[in-house]
Formats: sequence, C-alpha cells, structure tokens
Amino acid sequence: MSDQQLIKVEIDGKSVEVEPETTVFEAAAKVDVNIPALCHSELVEPYASCRLCMVEVDEGDGPRLVTSCNYPVRGPLTVTTDSDRVTRTRKTILELLLARWPEVKPIMDMAKFFNVDKPRFQHPLADCNPNACILCGLCVQVCSQGVLEDVVNFSGRATERRISMPYGGENPHCTGCGACVEICPTDAIRLTDDPNGPADPDMVRRAGMRVTREMILLDRKQSNLRDVGTAHLIETMNENDLLPVMNFRFGSHDDVQQIGSDVFGKKYFELGKPDGCWLGCTVSCCKAVPGFQLSTGPYKGERVLVEGPEYETLAGAANMGIFDPEFVLEYKFYCDTYGIDAISFSSSVAFAMECFEIGILDPERTEGLELVFGAADEVLQLLHLMAKGQGFGRIAGKGIRFMKYYFEEHYDADSGLLQDIGMEAKGLEYSQYVTKDSLAQQGGYGMALKGAHHDEAWLVLMDKVMDQIPNFKDKVEALYYFPIWRTWFGLCGLCRLPWNEVEPADNPETDEPAKVPEHVQNYCELFEGVTGKGQKPDDLLEMSERMYNFQRVFNLRMGYGKREHDAVPYRSLGPVIKEEYESRADRYDSQLADEVGVDPSGMSTEDKMAALREYREEAYEKLLDAVYKKRGWTKDGVPKAKTLKSLGIDFPDLVNLVKKHGG
Amino acid sequence: MNIEELRKTRDEIGKRRERYDAILMVCTGTTCQARGSLALVDRLENELIKRDLTDRFLVVPTGCLGLCSEGPLILVQPEGILYTGVSEDDLADIVKQHLLQNNFVDRLLYRLEGKAIANMKEIPFYAGQQLLSLRHRSTLNPEKIDDYIGANGYQTCYEVITGMEPTEVVDTVVRSGLRGRGGGGYPTGLKWRACREAVEKTGNHPVVVCNADEGDPGFMDQAILAADPHSVIEGMMIEAFAVGAKEGYVFVRKEHPLALRRLSKAIEQARRKKLLGVAIFGTDFSFDINVHRGAGAYVSGESSALMQALTGRPGEPEAKYVHTTERGFRNMPTVLNNVETIALLPAILEKGPVWFSSIGTGDVSKDPWNGNTGTKLVSLTGAVKNAGLLEVPMGTTLREIVFDLGGGLPEGSELKAVQLGGPTGGILPESQLDLPLEFDALSEADCPLGSGSMIALDETTCMVQLAKFMVGFLKEESCGKCTPCREGLVAMDVLLRKIASGEGEKGDLDLITEYGQTMTEASLCDLGRSAATPVVSTLRYFRDEFEIHIKDGKCSAGKCRDLISYNIIADNCTGCTVCVEACPENVISGEPGKPHVIDQDGCTRCGICREVCRFDAVEVR
Repeated sequence: MSDQQLIKVEIDGKSVEVEPETTVFEAAAKVDVNIPALCHSELVEPYASCRLCMVEVDEGDGPRLVTSCNYPVRGPLTVTTDSDRVTRTRKTILELLLARWPEVKPIMDMAKFFNVDKPRFQHPLADCNPNACILCGLCVQVCSQGVLEDVVNFSGRATERRISMPYGGENPHCTGCGACVEICPTDAIRLTDDPNGPADPDMVRRAGMRVTREMILLDRKQSNLRDVGTAHLIETMNENDLLPVMNFRFGSHDDVQQIGSDVFGKKYFELGKPDGCWLGCTVSCCKAVPGFQLSTGPYKGERVLVEGPEYETLAGAANMGIFDPEFVLEYKFYCDTYGIDAISFSSSVAFAMECFEIGILDPERTEGLELVFGAADEVLQLLHLMAKGQGFGRIAGKGIRFMKYYFEEHYDADSGLLQDIGMEAKGLEYSQYVTKDSLAQQGGYGMALKGAHHDEAWLVLMDKVMDQIPNFKDKVEALYYFPIWRTWFGLCGLCRLPWNEVEPADNPETDEPAKVPEHVQNYCELFEGVTGKGQKPDDLLEMSERMYNFQRVFNLRMGYGKREHDAVPYRSLGPVIKEEYESRADRYDSQLADEVGVDPSGMSTEDKMAALREYREEAYEKLLDAVYKKRGWTKDGVPKAKTLKSLGIDFPDLVNLVKKHGG
Repeated sequence: MNIEELRKTRDEIGKRRERYDAILMVCTGTTCQARGSLALVDRLENELIKRDLTDRFLVVPTGCLGLCSEGPLILVQPEGILYTGVSEDDLADIVKQHLLQNNFVDRLLYRLEGKAIANMKEIPFYAGQQLLSLRHRSTLNPEKIDDYIGANGYQTCYEVITGMEPTEVVDTVVRSGLRGRGGGGYPTGLKWRACREAVEKTGNHPVVVCNADEGDPGFMDQAILAADPHSVIEGMMIEAFAVGAKEGYVFVRKEHPLALRRLSKAIEQARRKKLLGVAIFGTDFSFDINVHRGAGAYVSGESSALMQALTGRPGEPEAKYVHTTERGFRNMPTVLNNVETIALLPAILEKGPVWFSSIGTGDVSKDPWNGNTGTKLVSLTGAVKNAGLLEVPMGTTLREIVFDLGGGLPEGSELKAVQLGGPTGGILPESQLDLPLEFDALSEADCPLGSGSMIALDETTCMVQLAKFMVGFLKEESCGKCTPCREGLVAMDVLLRKIASGEGEKGDLDLITEYGQTMTEASLCDLGRSAATPVVSTLRYFRDEFEIHIKDGKCSAGKCRDLISYNIIADNCTGCTVCVEACPENVISGEPGKPHVIDQDGCTRCGICREVCRFDAVEVR
C-alpha cells in the first residue's frame, strides 16, 4: 500500500489524506467527525443496512447522498455530514425505526439526539420489547466473517425478516462462542447452550473472543493465516536466507516465488472460505486444494482434495530443489495418503540427492533413479517405492540415520561427511529451517527432546528476523523458557498458533515481546475458566517444567537423554562445502574478523571454513553448557536429583536413574 | 461444428422448407399453450398424416406470436395468414378449406370493426411493429437448433469470433446506442468497456450473466427465451467474446417453465454441435453457459441481489458504489445484461451499428446516452382490445401503442391512465400519452419505462387503490435489509389504507411524500429507491383524487369499499332474485317480482350483485 498515492478528503471542512479504498466513515473517524450508525462495527465488513450513516459526498459533480460506511475513497472528495438533507434523511429513518422499536435504547438515544420524538404513524408491528432485534445484521456478519461459521442468518423477507438458525431450529454448528452476543447492540441474543461443564464459561468465552477479535482485526496485517495458512512464512524465510534449499546448503532461491503463498492463495486455495481444525476455531489456518488431478501413482488421473500445503511442505520442496506447485500438491497428497511425514520425507530425499550429486549414490545404487536436485519425477517414483517397500525406497524410507549407516557400511562413504550433511538429530529429520546463522535455533533443534523438530523451540524468527534475543544470555534464557512454555500447549492439548502467530497491536512495546505476555495471560484465563484454578503465568510454566524434565528422564532411560544425543550435524552450525561458504562469504568473513579474531583476507576458503567450524562448534558446546546449567542439569545434560526434587517429581525410580548418570 | 458444416445445415434447411406448399406455425407461447395449442400441434400433424399430406405441409410449433388476447393462433406461411381463436374442431377446416382448396377459413380470421383481415401484416397490431429481438418468432421451431441455423443463426458469432477484435465488438455496441432493456437504460457497450477495464486492473476472470428473472407483469424475457433461445445463446457468445469471459450464467425464474425448458434444451443442442464448450469454431475462444433457476423473490431481479442468489445465498442486494462490472458474481468482474438486450446483439453485429441506430430516436454516433435506438418489447395488457406482446421502434408514442396497435379500449370505456414498468414503475394520465417510449423522457415524467410492461387503465380504476396495491406488493417483496425500504413501505401502506378507508387526514399526503423521498434517496438498492415511484407518480398526476378521498370521504371510481355503498334502484329492479342468490353475505332481501333492498350493515361491498344484475339496477354511491 505504501507506494499508493494518498487521496485528500475534506470532511466538514477538515482535511485528511487517506489510502485509496478507505471508506468515508473511516476517513471521518481520522478527523474525529462522528457519524451515527447502528449496523457498524470494526469487526465486520460494512453492511449498510441501517442507512443512518448517510452523508453528502461531492466528487466535483454535485453532492450525492451515500452511505459513508461503504463508500470507498477513490479520488478527491468533499464530504458533508450535517447538511439539511443529511439531517432530514437521518430523522426520517430514525422515525421509521422508532415507530417499529419504540423502547430500544440505541434507537431512543439516537432519536433523542436528532430531536425525533414521536412517530407520525402507528406501526402495525410496533414492538415495545427493549431488547428487540433491530435487524442490524451485526450478529450475522460477525458469525460469517469473524467466526467463519454462518451459524445465524436472516430468514424471511420484508417485515417477516428475522434472525434465525436453519429451519428455525438450533444450529448444531453453533459453538456458543458468544461473538454474536457481544456484538448485538440491543442484547437481543441469549446463549442457551450446554457448555460441557467448564468452571466459568464466560471467562472461556472472553478468552476465545479475544483471539477472534485479533484474528479479525490483525491477521491480514500480520500473518494472513486465514487466506494462505502457514504458507505465508515461505517468503519471509526466503528473504531472510532461512529457507532450506538443496539439503540445507542454501537459504534462498530465485524460483521460490513459483511456490509462494501468493500462487497458492490466488490459484489453488479455492474452497472459498478459511477452515479451522475444529469447529469454531477462528484462526482457521487450514487450507485445501480442491479438484487437483493426480499425475502419478495408484490414483493417477483422479481428481482429489489435497489438504494444505503448509509452510513445511512447500519448504520441503525447495529443500529438494523443486519449485513446482503441482509437484508440491502431488507429493503432499501421497505423503498424506501413505501416512508418510512430509518433513521427514523431504529432508531424507534432500540428503539422498546430495549423496547422489557427490557420487555416494549412482543410478545403479538407486536402481535407476537419477536423483539429482530438482528431479521431481524421480522423487515421486521414490515416494511410491517407499510406500511399497521396494527398490531404493526400502533404504531411503528408513530415514537419514539409517541411510548414513547404510552408505558407510555398503558404499564405503566418508563417515564424517555423512555426519555433516545428514540433517537429523536423535534420529529425527530436520524441519525446514536453516539454522546456520541462528545459534538459538541450533540449540532449539539439538536439545529438542523429540529430535530436530521446530515445535519445541522455534526461535529462528525471533533470533534472526525480529532480533529479539541478540545476546548469548538472551539465547540461553530463550532456550530455557520457550521449550518449557511450548510444551505446555501439548500438555493441555491446545494449539499454540493463537499465542504468537498473530500478536496484539501493542505487543512490540511490551517488556518481553517474544513471549507475547498478553496472550500468555489469555491462556491463564482459558485455563482458569475451564478448571476453576486461578493460575499465573509462572504457575503454567511450572506445570510444564515438571513435564519437560520428566520427558528428559524418560529419554535418558531410553538411551537418548545425554549431551552426546544433543549433538547436531555440522551443517546445522555452518557451511560444509565450499559453495555453501561462498554463497554467504561476506557474513562468514566478517564473523571471522569480528568475533573469531582471524583476518580472512588472503586465506583460502578451506582454511576459513576450518577456522569458522572450530569457532562455531565451540559456541554450540558453550550454549549447551549454559542451557543445561540454567535448566538445573549436569554438564552431561542429565537433570540433577535436586532439580527433580524442587519440581516435585523426585520419585525413587527417577532419582535413582539420574543419580546413576551423575545427576 | 465448423463454418462449412454450419453453412451446409443452413442451406439444407432452406431447401427443405422450400419443398413445402405451406408451413403451419402454431403458437406455443405460454398463453396459447394454456389455451391448448400443444394439442393443436398433435392433432394437426395427425390430420396431415391421415390425409397423407406430410410431404406438402409442415407443422411447426413456434414461439409467442404476440396477439395473446386472440389465441390460440396459427400462422400459415409463407402467405402469412393468421387464424385466431383456433380450437381442435377447426383444424379439419383449415386443412380441407385452406390447404387443399385455398379458401381462407373466414370465421377464424382477425376482425377489425367487423371486417376480416387475413394477412397478419395488415392487422394494425402487427403493422406497427418492427421485430429485432423477436425476429424469428414466426419462422422457426425454438426447440430445433437446425431451424435457427437455417435462419442464418450462429453465422454472426462466427464472423465476430474469427474476424473481429474484442474491443471492436465493444465499440460496435457502443456506437449502436444499445441501452439495457431491463429498465436501467445503461448503455450496454459502456458496461462492457467498464468490465474490460476492471479485468485489466484486477487480473480476475470476467463472467457474463443473463438476467431472465423477470418478475414484472408481462412476459417479454420469457417470451424471447421460449421463442428463440438460440439468439440469446448467440448473443451471450458475442458478449463473452467481447469482454473475454469463459463462463456464462442465465438466471431464470423457475416460474417460467417453458422458457427454462427451451433454453436448457437449446444449450444442450449447442454443446452437442460444439457451439458451446472448448475451442469454439477451432479458435481459442471457449465459452459455456450454465442455467440457474431462481426461486422467485422479486428482489432477485436486482443485479447485486441476483448475483448473491446465483451463488446460492438469499437474493439480497449490496451497495454498488463499486460496480458489479468490477466486483460482481463471486467478486469477479461481471457483466449483467437482460435477455432482450442480449437477443438484440446478433442482429446488431450482423447489420452494423448504423443500421441499428437508424431505428429509434436520437443521434448516438458520439454518445450512447444521447438517444434511444433500436426496438423495445412491450407487454400490453389491461383494458385494451388487443392485449399481447409487441415490439416497436423506440420513440413510438404511448398513444400509438395503446390506440393503434392495441386497438384502444372497448366501446363505452375511457382510458384514464397507463401504468408502466411493473410494480416499481409509474403511472401516466391520458393527457401524457404523447410521450415517446424512451428511457429519459419517461423517467422525467416520474414514470420509468422499466422492462416495458404497460397496463391500460379505464375510468373504473381508483388511484388510491392502485397505489395501495403496488405498495402492498412491494411491502411483501422488499428484502428487508435496509430501513427506508422495509419500514418506509410499511408507513406508506398504513397511510394509504387510512386514506382508502376514509380516515385520511390533512398532512397525510405530505407525509407520504416525505417518506417517499427518503426511500428514494436513502434506500440501498434500486428496488428500494424506486419503491415510492408508483405512489409519487399517482400523486403527481392524480392528487385531486387522493384529496377527495381525504376531504370528502368519497371514491370517484367506486372502488374503496369503506367509502361506497351499493344500492338497488327500485325503478330498474324487476325482482328477478338473481342478486339474492349471488350475494355471499345474504344481505339482499325482497319478494320475487318486487324491488329488492340491500342491508348496508352486512354488505361487504364486494360488488357481485352489480355484476350479476341484468337490469342495471345496482348502483354505486
């Protein structure tokens, strides 16, 4: 919008410049000109049913009466909000409304303001109920556009018009969210649902409504989850050099726009309406592509509905060097159909592709697959082979950790190189973020209890894009706080998207914007509303920390819970191959000069890489030390007995186990 | 179907027709069907088979021939002899006398002042007409695509698609001066141009929609669809090519089953001949048409409401500050044209804008707003002798339509006014009848042309009742979304009822005018904005009549039940007791053979006694 010319509007003699398509109503609000309305709310699109907001607009061809709520500014115009004609029109409309609903307060107040006292005719349907529905349509609008449910609507025509649910009955899709109750100007709506026994239903609804309100008002400005889902991240990651391309070698690519969120938003997401995982979710990030015709596999030729794709699926394609939206849909559909995780699949294939390109694999070993980066057809063949357990699919399908073992064992591949480029931790393939320049995210992946997955500590954005955790200490603190906080969502079975995907408008001004304090508070209220137990943010954290440590001990018992298991492949920390270094040489060179204290000029790339590696590996080890300490773990990453005691999980089995490992 | 096949079919049909001695066009328009014309087709065919005459004579069920008050109609071509009021019993005579012996069946001919007129063209009702949108109505079977192709059909769109640039097509229509026949009178070409600009600006795909919701009294659009559906399809193809649309929709009221059936059939036929679908005529132009059945809400004829209804939602208008040409159906740039407008397109493209603009009035060579070119369909009903559907050059005066074509009113009746343009239209007194059939001239007279329905009213029409009737209809049909329309109509209804019942007060008329003004200025859509027109225009021309109702408590037309009484004139009453039997309230008494009396207390002023009396003994006071 920034490159668009502002348009000058004059309202009752006051001048204001606005962006094109701003409504006259909004423009007037900017200069504090108050326009009366009964059907207006910032939460919904203008509906223009009450007609009280009429003003006179002159675009050079004489004044015209228009409704200001939906009249778009497209050229310079003069607005008069209090001419005789405007006032006369408003008075007549108020008289008509008052005749039908003489006791409804908003109408009475407005009528009084305009000196309308008694209607000059007897309305045959005059309704003296002070809480009568005045047909403003706000409830219908907020349910449809805000809650995305269409639970209530108008039925009947003319004077028979009324608000109702389908067939005049109760709509089973109504979740009782209360948005319509809140927006109704006459308190005409009452909730009669049975809310499944929460301690304080109103508190739950208020917390829910806060999410709904922010989604309506802020999503389009921040994340656009309703329109494109998590796919919105792809551009951000590409711009910030954080999008994995060709097995995490690079962080951006010129062709990414071909699988960008804009392409999917405009061309593929054609269901016509955002969808949520569950009834009533107003985040509604679920997307789907209807009528996609498959070109391979057992369902070849059929038209199917493909769910997603989400960011990870798109980024996975880039990681395999493929930038074709139809390929994305095809591999997403078959991953879902076969029950194969798209992240593990794409990261595994990206690894196999790199192995193919550097000669560890060849067509003989892949049984005919030319598995170079960008080979979309081969990838789909491989996917079908994996599902059948045939050919090279039998090997690749077992994941990166198995491939590393297999290639070393059978093809005599360089073990060190395989370790460096095989992007997995604790046996789980990396999710699709390049961590090379984010120390916090390196730790986030490496220390994640379930393996290199982003849901436990997704810090890359706050570290590299928002720059919210600049210092080593901040990063350590983040690696203490966020994994614990994020575990809390899983603990309660709640989605974390309403926490930080869309933030309050004033969040950047808070003390700790990365934590989104207002939303943490909202979760406290949600918890209290359901359980009846008053909780402060620290109380929630403590619940979660207990669980987090319990999980770590569980890992320990299963043989995955020590420092050695928090190790990461070197590509997670820095460049493994020459091209990788050179693709962002400036950045690495300056780090060598500024932080390592080595003058890179005159050094060969190999030497620079070695110096950088030494520095970065050391930094990672320091990070582990500091985070373990903060968490109350030993240097070997084992929770100390006294940590378990302070958390109240000092059960004999656990204590004995950690003690056995030095904790 | 390629152009060679198209031309071959055309020539074959022409030759085949020449083989027949005569072709019998049986009107199967809605009115004639209701009077049994489909049975006439069957019987006539059987008659020919029985007599082994099928080689010499052909029976063609055809679209509405227009003169509905005289139906069922049979037109014998190529001579053009019109038979009226034909029943099954008449068929044998038509075959025997006319076809075999070449003698007209005199009793079935149209009569003017007692004199028979055999040739259709000489009947004044037809002589004043010029057929463009209905140009095929008496020549082809609407259910056969080959008939349409035989009449040179689909040739024009071939020429357009293969030989013209889309912008040229737009320019041609702009220069023709064609203005929307649905009532708005907006220049069609300018609408297309706006759509093309919106497509360029937004990058969205345009859609063309044909409005066949027709909720006004009369049956212009459905008559075209039932008489010549292929001309609408061809018109939509031209339109789609001009704006770059791949998708077209026709919104037809489900209450027009004949139009629906014939249109659907025509689309099927066109698809089978590959005149609709992908790569039409082997070009990269692809287009198809979907038919949507409207559920019958009057407001759904309003463009933005129609586009809502088309998506399956209730027909509810939206503000049009952003035009539907920019954001219409499913938020795509949408061109909405009415059936009649679309049906005119093939002729305009075939014969050129100069030819079209030479018909009608005004010089549109520079500005389509500057004239009223081409023809307009009029559905003429009410108190005229010849009621039916007619097509006249624009600019024809209302007097010519009512008195020359319509034949005036029956003996003893006098024209009081004409009502134009349906429920949201206006009314004009006899003195204004020299106004031309033009969009602007009629709007200035508070009586917009609308879709062209025209009702002739005689002196028995009470203007208060008429206004009340129209308001009563609109009060039910308002969608109810915006305050001025929903509540303003209620207010008007209350006030008009008051006046009709003799309880009107001084100031009521001003109040009506005030509410009317707010409705006109502040309502959301064109229905609301024009909902006051019937009242405003009756008040403008017949204010005296309203005032007499209020001041004197009298209804000069004798229609307001609360203001009149039925009385028996003793001198005329023979005591025949017919009225006693007929009175539903049993309030007439009297001995047989002696004058009767009506008990005013129980009388509901239904007027049945007056209707059944054969001695003019019941009067209205």
